[in-house]
Amino acid sequence: MTNFAILPILIPFLAGILLAFTHKRILLTRRLAMMFALINVAAMTFLLILVLTEGSIVLETGNWMAPYGIILVLDPLSALLILTTSIILLAAVWYAPSSVSEEQESFYFYTFIFLLVTGVSGAFVTGDLFNLFVFFEVLLMASYALITHGGKKVQLRESIKYVLINLFSSMLFVTAISYIYAVLGTVNMAQLAERAAAADQLGIITTVAILLFFVFATKGAAFPLYYWLPRSYIVPNPVVSALFGALLTKVGVYSLIRTFTLIFHQQPEIMDQLFIWIGNLTMLFGVIGALASRNIKLIVAYNIIPAIGFMLVGIGIFNNDGLSGSIYYLLQDMIVKAALFLLAGTIATLAGTSDISKMGGMIRSHPALGWMFFLAGLVLAGVPPFSGFIGKLLLVRGAFEKGETATVIIMLLTSLLILLSIVRAFIQVFWGEGETGSEQKRKHLRHLIPAGFLMLFTVFLGIGAEAILPTVQHIADYLLNPQAYMELVLKEGR
Amino acid sequence: MEIIMIVLAGILFGFAVYNILQKRLLRIIIGTALLSHAAHLFILTMGKLKRGASPVLTEGTENYTDPLPQALILTSIVISFGVTSLLLVLAYRTVKTNGTDNMEELRGNNHD
Amino acid sequence: MIIAILMPFLIALCIPFIAKFKYRIHTGYVAFAASLSIFLYFLTLLISGKTDILYHYSWIPSLGLDLTFYTDGLALFFALLISGIGALVAFYSIHYLDLEERLGSFYVYLLLFMGAMLGIVTSDNIYALYTFWELTSVSSFLLISFWFNRKASTDGALKSMLITFLGGFALLGGLALLHLVTGSASIREILTKGDLILGSDWFPLIVVLLLLAACTKSAQFPFHIWLPDAMEAPTPVSAYLHSATMVKAGLFLLLRFTPVFRESEAFFIAVSIIGLLTLFWGSYMAVRQTDLKGILAFSTVSQLGMIMAMIGYGTEAAIFAAIFHILNHATFKGSLFMAVGIIDHETGTRDIRRLGGLWKLMPITGIISVLAAFSMAGVPLPILNGFYSKEEFFASSWDLSADRAFGTGFASVLADIVPYAAVAGSIFTFVYSMYFYFRTFTGKSETTVAKKAHDPKFGMLLSPVLLVSGVILISIFPNWFSRHLLLPAANAVYGETMEAHSIHFWHGLVPALLMSLIVVISGILLYSTRSYWTGLYKLLPGRLSGNNVYSVILNASEKQTKKLNDHIVSGSLRQYNAIIISFISILTLLVLFGTNSFDLSNMDTSPVSLPQSLPELAVAVIMIAAAFGSTVSQKKLTAVIILGVVGYGLSILFVLFRAPDLALTQLSIETITVVLFLLCFRHLPEFKRERKEKLSKKITNIIIASLCGLMMMLVGLAAYSQRLFPAISDYFIENSYKLGGGDNIVNVILVDFRGLDTLFEITVLAIAALGIYSLIKLRQKGGDR
Repeated sequence: MTNFAILPILIPFLAGILLAFTHKRILLTRRLAMMFALINVAAMTFLLILVLTEGSIVLETGNWMAPYGIILVLDPLSALLILTTSIILLAAVWYAPSSVSEEQESFYFYTFIFLLVTGVSGAFVTGDLFNLFVFFEVLLMASYALITHGGKKVQLRESIKYVLINLFSSMLFVTAISYIYAVLGTVNMAQLAERAAAADQLGIITTVAILLFFVFATKGAAFPLYYWLPRSYIVPNPVVSALFGALLTKVGVYSLIRTFTLIFHQQPEIMDQLFIWIGNLTMLFGVIGALASRNIKLIVAYNIIPAIGFMLVGIGIFNNDGLSGSIYYLLQDMIVKAALFLLAGTIATLAGTSDISKMGGMIRSHPALGWMFFLAGLVLAGVPPFSGFIGKLLLVRGAFEKGETATVIIMLLTSLLILLSIVRAFIQVFWGEGETGSEQKRKHLRHLIPAGFLMLFTVFLGIGAEAILPTVQHIADYLLNPQAYMELVLKEGR
Repeated sequence: MEIIMIVLAGILFGFAVYNILQKRLLRIIIGTALLSHAAHLFILTMGKLKRGASPVLTEGTENYTDPLPQALILTSIVISFGVTSLLLVLAYRTVKTNGTDNMEELRGNNHD
Repeated sequence: MIIAILMPFLIALCIPFIAKFKYRIHTGYVAFAASLSIFLYFLTLLISGKTDILYHYSWIPSLGLDLTFYTDGLALFFALLISGIGALVAFYSIHYLDLEERLGSFYVYLLLFMGAMLGIVTSDNIYALYTFWELTSVSSFLLISFWFNRKASTDGALKSMLITFLGGFALLGGLALLHLVTGSASIREILTKGDLILGSDWFPLIVVLLLLAACTKSAQFPFHIWLPDAMEAPTPVSAYLHSATMVKAGLFLLLRFTPVFRESEAFFIAVSIIGLLTLFWGSYMAVRQTDLKGILAFSTVSQLGMIMAMIGYGTEAAIFAAIFHILNHATFKGSLFMAVGIIDHETGTRDIRRLGGLWKLMPITGIISVLAAFSMAGVPLPILNGFYSKEEFFASSWDLSADRAFGTGFASVLADIVPYAAVAGSIFTFVYSMYFYFRTFTGKSETTVAKKAHDPKFGMLLSPVLLVSGVILISIFPNWFSRHLLLPAANAVYGETMEAHSIHFWHGLVPALLMSLIVVISGILLYSTRSYWTGLYKLLPGRLSGNNVYSVILNASEKQTKKLNDHIVSGSLRQYNAIIISFISILTLLVLFGTNSFDLSNMDTSPVSLPQSLPELAVAVIMIAAAFGSTVSQKKLTAVIILGVVGYGLSILFVLFRAPDLALTQLSIETITVVLFLLCFRHLPEFKRERKEKLSKKITNIIIASLCGLMMMLVGLAAYSQRLFPAISDYFIENSYKLGGGDNIVNVILVDFRGLDTLFEITVLAIAALGIYSLIKLRQKGGDR
């Protein structure tokens, strides 16, 4: 049964490889991709249920016991994130044929997507710091391939910046791992946690942790490391943007949550404040970018950043409300961002431009698209009873419990500005005079269904929050007591 | 010896960053290559240097150099190679398509 | 109970289907029937005296969010108001809106709003209340922008949304704090823990946040600015949301928490001042308006201010008067809005300067207007309910100043001023009421306007007529209403049972009457000589109103953010890297030294001795020289080849440091990389054509580079010297052969102990290969998008 822990990596990995061989036969590739995505969702649902009922699954790959071999840990947090990932993958594969050209599809498009998800899932399950680096590289390499896919002028221009900045942070990552290895003598996360907790010289651990913080924060697009994100996320196809927006930054946030609750929460007076203030600045600067944009895709892309800020703040708050708020925000933001990118992509396709000042009155011909966009805006701003609200309320409460009044004010203000940025775009695009997109009235249904599928999840995560929230709160407790994780992984070591 | 190597790696890191801050693409890529050299040297040094024989088991040898950093470096070298090759091709295509290798001319603006 | 509250939502769901048949039956009838049955339901509750009905459903208990509905006197009072006016407005709108309009959308929004409003007033759970609260903001946004092709509508909608959501988010903060302080999310329970709240350190913040919510929703100064712009909505919406119900939600919120708050002097000071200021400002601004709906909007602002002030007083009489006036305001303002709707509908204009003499053409509308407007003015007639509640307002203001025991310090000073402020604010109310009525219905109008106007069909008149009858009925039987409707509500607010309050037209020569008379007389004087006073109404510039602040902020949110953002996210890779790298370096160095972790005392190094160490040192020097050379080289070919030297140097180091596998790999990969470099950059321009860099830029680059190098070096040294635990590698050395079956430990680690790394390392290479392939082969033409 412990072998199940490899499934999240194995299924997309095999799918990616298989699809590389069928790439010339587009129709077959599409169907296979869809089938694999469905299988993936089913398997991940099964795994989540299994983990929740039977407890976390620990796989010692190659049967090498921890901490010597690489350990895969499928705990509730990983399982939940992997399931969310698989849902987004399904929507992406579903949407792809309507927006990706056939030529592009034949150039290993689906292979890259599945390998991207392999890397993401791998990052979610691995219990080894260096292995995390390797999975980062897998997902980054797939993302390099996807972001340049198509090779248009702007795409190349922006993706080279994306690659270069990520390359720097990757090199910083390995170097930081080597520092940690020098200090703690291991790369297994559970053992790192155990040793860090037993250490009495904390300063050096904190210093190295700061370096790692920046590595993950660059991936996660925190202030002031977010510059690369907005423009590079809008240049590829909407499907790719959706995957990037939903998954890539979130892997960074996940890594922060994982390592900083498990290993590096040794000098909270420094760490917590760092998270909170970086989070605050991330919210403010991110939303400023969103307000400044006149491009529908950019507005959505910039809106990724304040959401990251919310999650960072939650980690810094470091109590049950804060952490469960962070995790809930993470889960729902993955889905709603994917949906928003798909919607923005559809709008841009129908309008033939991304510039919102050239659009108007679109709701006359595309009411469903309009209302979904509006709804997604409400979700983003955390309006009840939608999913954004659940995370936000937890974060607000957590911040008050910790006495962080300024942070609460910034959070609430940011929510208002997020709302402004989206609603202003909504008014500009869908209301007012004009007939944008009216000539393609019927064509957009196949665009809308995958986005609607994601929106359903968003609504469910809000109204049906009770189905998930207790689990998330349980996870937060579990993260607050890293002892459980250590015992889980190192059980045989003693 | 380790101190010397750490200083060396730090200096390489500095040169790498200096190159990364240039505007010519080739310079930047040279910077990233230097960066990976520096990182690998750091990893090796962090596992202590010259504390025994090469990590190949031979009879009668008690002390070996720490093998784990070496394994990590190997993985990292291969990955860096993959990234660098992709980067080079990407740079080539970017320069060809956009007609310049000056990154300052590849700023773009917020409207496209 | 639950059905009554959820019914609007359920029917709203069905409306889109019903709306398809709108040419057979006006969709409005469905909404009308729904609201009427809800009204009747609550009426039976009132008559049977069965209050305190409960419905409970655990929605998201992990969050503290339950759906618990209950009706006490206050909830019932508001529920009747919401459903009753709702029914009248729905009926009125049937005749107001053409079949060509998007009726489906209209009634969906309207019912959503009604359901949300009922939810606010009956919710016991604070988060449920908040949920419904935001829903009213959203539905109001949608209703204001009902005619979404007009820019004024969408601008007004955006304004109202921003301001009410500002308050909404503040409310969320305030409620979360209440939950934190009292440990309960149930309003009834929170109210029993008043001491906890009042004694808490959070109390000031709670008051500020809840006041912000109430003031934005109920359009109090300086947040009132959204209400006049909200008049772009269809008139039935203005009558319903923006005078009778939604704007009272803020008042309701404060009333709900009055049992706790009235103990606080700060609350009294803040709320009374806000209320009186709004009363004054609203009525003053109303006189300047030329749009009939504009007058009514500012008048609503001012009336809300008056009620707010009474809530601030917090005395028994004041609370009762506040509730009484909420009812009266709903009746007379509702009918005035409907009358304006009729005038607009019939004459095609709402500009008061173009109107006049409508009395002859539209006598019924005229009667409605005169009764309602005079009631609003507080004209002392026994058939005008506005007079009754205004008297109560004056009386409670007077009592406050007369009560020597009231308040300490500033609060008692304020209490002394209150009656004067109340009178001053009410004078303008009288003036604009007269202005509204006489300018519209007497005198002469533009001939083009006057021609076609006449009283509308019966259907359109019915609702305002009923409302005006309400004005009269309340005035004739004030004590019936008081006993059955107002007192239960006031008791619920006050938190203890009040003595029965009898309302009379004639109280004797009491101060309140005197105050009324002052208002009436000076009002008449001001109105009849108004041509001399135009200067007075221009004295206080409208710029003070906060509209300017709003537009400055809104503009800034577009232009300033753009300026700032273009500055930060400039697209320049160099700038990105410079900021990122220096930020990382500086912060890491700060932490390194801030935590005192730069400690080299335990450094365990292998010895350096000449000449044994000469090879290493020589290679190190060569590598530095090569790195320098490739950095300054002006020829790309030289640069790349010298770069190769660094790589080869590294592989020699690998050899010297007993890492033969690494050396081999590094050697081969370095070679391939150099070749690749040369291949890719063969066609590229030489460095020579580079324009000279600015010296300052160069120096900055050098500083950042040295900073980063130094940081890595120092952290590396510190990490190296603080080896807190033995490395895990001994296990690999011991078991490589025993368990892994190989002599070469590195290889065994790669393919066995850490086989997963290697598998995915190869995957990375494979993706890179495919990526390069598609990069070269796949070239899509086309635009930038």
